[in-house]
Amino acid sequence: MKEHDGQSSELVIRHAHVLDPSTGLDAVKDVRISSGRISEFGDDLRGTRELDADGLHLFPGFVDVHAHWRTPGREDEETIESGSAAAAAGGFTGVVMMPNTDPVVDKPIVVSGLMRRIEQESRVRAYVSAALHVGLKGERLTEMQLLKEAGALCVSDDGLGTQSAGVLRNAMLYAHTAGLPVLLHCEDHTLATGVVHDGVAAALAGIPGSPASAEDAATATALVLATETGAKTHITHVSTALSAALVRFFEGRADVTADTTPHHLTLTDDLISTLDGAYRVNPPLRPEYDRDGVTEALRDGVLDFVATDHAPHASEEKELPLEEAAPGFLGHETAFAALHAQLVLKGKLSLTRLIEAMSFAPGRWVGEGGSLAVGSPADLVLADLSERWTVGRETLSSRSWNSPYLGQNLTGRVVGTIVGREIVHDLVKVSR
Amino acid sequence: MRSRDFLTLEETSRGELREVLDLARDVAAGRLSSPLAGKTVCLAFFETSTRTAVSFELAARRSGADVISLSEKGSAIAKGESLVDTVVTLDSLGADALVIRHPAAGAAKLAARHTRAAVVNAGDGCGQHPTQALLDLYALSEAFGGFDELAGRRVAIAGDVLRSRVARSVIPALRTAGMEVALVAPRTLLPMEAGVWDLPVLPSVDAALEWGSEVLYMLRLQNERMTGGSPRVPSVAEYAAYYGVARRHLRRGVWVMHPGPVNRGVEISGDVVLDGASLIPNQVAAGIAVRSAVLALATGVAQQVAA
Repeated sequence: MKEHDGQSSELVIRHAHVLDPSTGLDAVKDVRISSGRISEFGDDLRGTRELDADGLHLFPGFVDVHAHWRTPGREDEETIESGSAAAAAGGFTGVVMMPNTDPVVDKPIVVSGLMRRIEQESRVRAYVSAALHVGLKGERLTEMQLLKEAGALCVSDDGLGTQSAGVLRNAMLYAHTAGLPVLLHCEDHTLATGVVHDGVAAALAGIPGSPASAEDAATATALVLATETGAKTHITHVSTALSAALVRFFEGRADVTADTTPHHLTLTDDLISTLDGAYRVNPPLRPEYDRDGVTEALRDGVLDFVATDHAPHASEEKELPLEEAAPGFLGHETAFAALHAQLVLKGKLSLTRLIEAMSFAPGRWVGEGGSLAVGSPADLVLADLSERWTVGRETLSSRSWNSPYLGQNLTGRVVGTIVGREIVHDLVKVSR
Repeated sequence: MRSRDFLTLEETSRGELREVLDLARDVAAGRLSSPLAGKTVCLAFFETSTRTAVSFELAARRSGADVISLSEKGSAIAKGESLVDTVVTLDSLGADALVIRHPAAGAAKLAARHTRAAVVNAGDGCGQHPTQALLDLYALSEAFGGFDELAGRRVAIAGDVLRSRVARSVIPALRTAGMEVALVAPRTLLPMEAGVWDLPVLPSVDAALEWGSEVLYMLRLQNERMTGGSPRVPSVAEYAAYYGVARRHLRRGVWVMHPGPVNRGVEISGDVVLDGASLIPNQVAAGIAVRSAVLALATGVAQQVAA
């Protein structure tokens, strides 16, 4: 890893358009970074090392609270090294790793092992979500207090919904005691019997659908239980207009936050007509009505932030008929570009709100990052908002290439990412 | 003298607590001889119990009472007779005191409505267990040098408060005695509205000691709370680490209590149970004198004897 500031020098980034929703700064400025922290903004800062960022935007580093780095167990699909390289390429300086690995992250020793590997291998700040139940099975509670001591940031059975409300309630009470937020994948498996959204496209394609109620009913249950137990609860990958409305209803009644994904904000279930396994994901791509509802909820702040659900899969798991393909998309490397191109440039979301929803809001949930306030760690992103690029296998740092945007032209690109003292992604030769 | 029920300690005054403890001290010192002579004490245990049943039986016999003992096994209770019918039968036989243990809260209160005998609650469901709390107060008073020495001291009650009848008697008893009480338990082992007691809830036994607790009152964690469909705690290891007392917690001036039977290695590590810091043997020993005193007060003979 390249250090940008040796003992004698610091880095001054000049002429960048700084946009930091956490402080309200939105202007062309010079910024000085010393000892891995933001030390000064000014109009004519000079330093021993300078980068002319004229024409580029400078944002706080993005934070992704939902990623699968497939370690341990499926290092053929992603490793901490490759996952963090993909994160850095997408401007993410902080990432939460989900626990549905093999073995499942349900024991303190697995958490501490991951913490050590992160320390050695990750290019960005990475956090560990431990499991809510042993083996993600929705039966025995994990040792949440010992998991927290080992370094876990939150608990989740992500990938699966908890099927019994009684079991979930008990787990939320215990997580509350342990002081760990619960991240919930809301899905009722008695309703979710298909592989795509149960809509027009599924009907025409002849592919078994799962109704939106599979998500909505589970989301409602989770919100009710969050209200009653007082547990700090995060609803991840909200994909329907109704679930977003439910979250809105519970605002102020429960300690709840929620996110949605770049793909649910930009893609719809008409892609099912391709019959291509590449487009299978869970929760499934929804109709325009839901995409628009979720977008509106993100704009209003009802959905607090964007999380990618970065889910690498080997080609043999994706180059299959839809019904047989593994659900999941890559997310890190295309998130900003897809959302910038599809939402900001089309006037559906302001750039400021997008950056807030990718940096400050998730950073607050994680407990660090997402701000360029003087004194903060120098976790930041340089982006060229006018660059047009094509998503291709060769542009991806991930070990997998199951991106739903493969072959698409996107406008706006992350060209540099800095985490503290380290330049972790560098298309502009910051480290020259 | 009218008979007097011992159903709950929720409304019991400081004076009444002192009265029981003073009388128990007299019993222990041998100052009363056969106070219950001529009285009939019936033990009706609708739920398995060893220590409480034995303690009450010894207390009654040593006080000179005639004792009828009905237990879950080999009696009308085993044949499915209802609580009320059993109570009416014992009443008809001329019982002076009924000692009742039952798996449902409120059983002792219901029994009291159907008998002229004094009813002593020997533990009903997750409701009350007043003689346990009284013997705890007795053992504590001895340890600290008198009932009045308890006021202002801090005690932490750790474990399954949700399902504990011991806690529901001990909490009011200790507070009436002037002690400051805190709870140590995860939310899964507390009532949803645990705030009703207006007690601090501390996260661990370590935190209880930091808070200044001089007494660690450990509750039994029933095995089924750790197994079954939806366990309330994840593992013995985690439970013991946060809610159990271990040798490292022992220090001068801190007493460990437990109503028994102990889960060694769960709420109390094996090497603490019989340590000098443990009041557990004292609690058991106090049981006989305290229950004798309770039976004497319940049947109304106490004043005559003391006079």
